Amino acid sequence: MPSIVTARNLVKKFGDFTAVDGISFEIRTGECFGFLGPNGAGKTTTIRMIHCVSPRSGGELTVLGRPASVDNREIKRLIGVVPQEINLDADLTVRENLSLYAEFYDLKRRPAAARIAELLDFVELKGKINNQIAELSTGMKRRLQIARALVNQPQLIIADEPTTGLDPQARRLIWQRLRELKGRGATIILTTQYMEEAEQLCDRLVVMSRGKIIDFGSPDELKKKHDRPNLEEVYLKLTGHGLQEEAAE
Amino acid sequence: MNLSYRAYYVWKRNLTAYKRFLLPTLLVSLGEPFFYLLALGLGLGAYMGNLFGGAAYVNFLASGLVASSCMMTATFECLYDSFVRMVHEKIYGSLIVTPISAEDVVAGDIAWGAFRGIISGFLMYGVAVLIGALPLSLPVIFGLLGVMALTGLLFGSLSMIVTSFAPNFDFFNYYTQLIISPLFFFSGVFFPLDKFPGWLRLIAKFSPLTHAVSVSRQLFAGRFSGHLYLNLLAIILPMLAAFCLALFFMKRRLIK
Ligand SMILES: Nc1ncnc2c1ncn2[C@@H]1O[C@H](COP(=O)(O)OP(=O)(O)OP(=O)(O)O)[C@@H](O)[C@H]1O
Ligand SMILES: [Mg+2]
Repeated sequence: MPSIVTARNLVKKFGDFTAVDGISFEIRTGECFGFLGPNGAGKTTTIRMIHCVSPRSGGELTVLGRPASVDNREIKRLIGVVPQEINLDADLTVRENLSLYAEFYDLKRRPAAARIAELLDFVELKGKINNQIAELSTGMKRRLQIARALVNQPQLIIADEPTTGLDPQARRLIWQRLRELKGRGATIILTTQYMEEAEQLCDRLVVMSRGKIIDFGSPDELKKKHDRPNLEEVYLKLTGHGLQEEAAE
Repeated sequence: MNLSYRAYYVWKRNLTAYKRFLLPTLLVSLGEPFFYLLALGLGLGAYMGNLFGGAAYVNFLASGLVASSCMMTATFECLYDSFVRMVHEKIYGSLIVTPISAEDVVAGDIAWGAFRGIISGFLMYGVAVLIGALPLSLPVIFGLLGVMALTGLLFGSLSMIVTSFAPNFDFFNYYTQLIISPLFFFSGVFFPLDKFPGWLRLIAKFSPLTHAVSVSRQLFAGRFSGHLYLNLLAIILPMLAAFCLALFFMKRRLIK
């Protein structure tokens, strides 16, 4: 299968601090690829370089066959991003959040309206179209962020901890939707702190720690290799039982 | 520089967010022109008699306040409101994920500040027309639109530069107290500058607001001085410089 994202010795520095320390990976078209790792491992930093809002400090990064440079509009146009932090536009209604976003991608008004109706249906928010963002629960906001990431029918969907703060039912709904998107041929990049989620969704994943990739493979390969019954045990074996961020001080 | 037509989307986003508050804010912002023109124009003006070839003080004052009110509104919009959009609401961050670039975001937000400035200037003008202090005419309206667009873009850009360095709201006090307030008082809005000591007059000449005030006075008088082009250049050149710097510094803050 051809690769959709390729990184070679990718480095990101903030001042003298190295957040991503020479990582290499290849994401194949049509798979769900996971980034796991403790807080501060560099997952979000890596992802932000992939979707062209953060410049890399070193190495090579190719996305959709193009070099990923900041503000590369050709790449940005083909990607959908569900950010880690909820950043819906609180001054706007649900509908306005989506319709303005559609316009940012140069969609025409009519097809955009049809697309929005379809998306709200997909994330089960149809009844909320005229609500203000403040009137939504966290689960609804997370779902709306997924709908927003899909307005441009992206080939590559990047979801940075899309289920953080959700109850198990809400989380399962999102899993199901991500699976459906993959079934329709989208490639998905996922980060999560829930090992069950990674096991359920990811075809392959990397485990990051302090800016480096410390292991990679499919969930089954990793379980077998480390002789552990589930991914959570593998993860703890790899990253240790102590708090990493404290230890790094 | 990665500027495109998408700056318009940012302006439109702000308009969509603002629409809900349009009427209340407009009504509230009618207050200030009334107070200035009534208290200073009619109250203080009553003691001044007819100034400068028979015109009433309120007439002189109103034509200056049109420009300064545009400056004030554009300034505060691109300080406080832009800061809230960038830092508190994280709207800039969500925009640059789409094909909108950092430059588009900043340019669109400056244009929005200028737009609010223009509205504010026209409110002042409208009130002045209502109380008979300024003439109503189409050429004047078009002329004003031009001066205020330039003034709004200039002061919006200057404020955006300040915002790009601001860690919090307190930071803005330095700029408003040390730069904007003196400009407001020493740019010929309240009194003609010709009785100023020479050194103050020289400083006032470097204030872009002085030139904006001068152009609007010329518009209202319907008589243009030979310095009109210099006046316009004194607004346009700093505007272009400030605009480019604002884009540069803001991008540095947004893209890390
Ligand atoms: N703009 C920035 N300036 C300075 N340091 C930063 C910046 N962004 C991230 N970092 C640092 O880079 C490191 C990696 O952060 P990153 O957000 O990528 O971690 P993460 O793996 O996504 O963690 P989490 O699971 O908490 O989301 C952290 O130590 C963080 O403090
Ligand atoms: Mg993160």
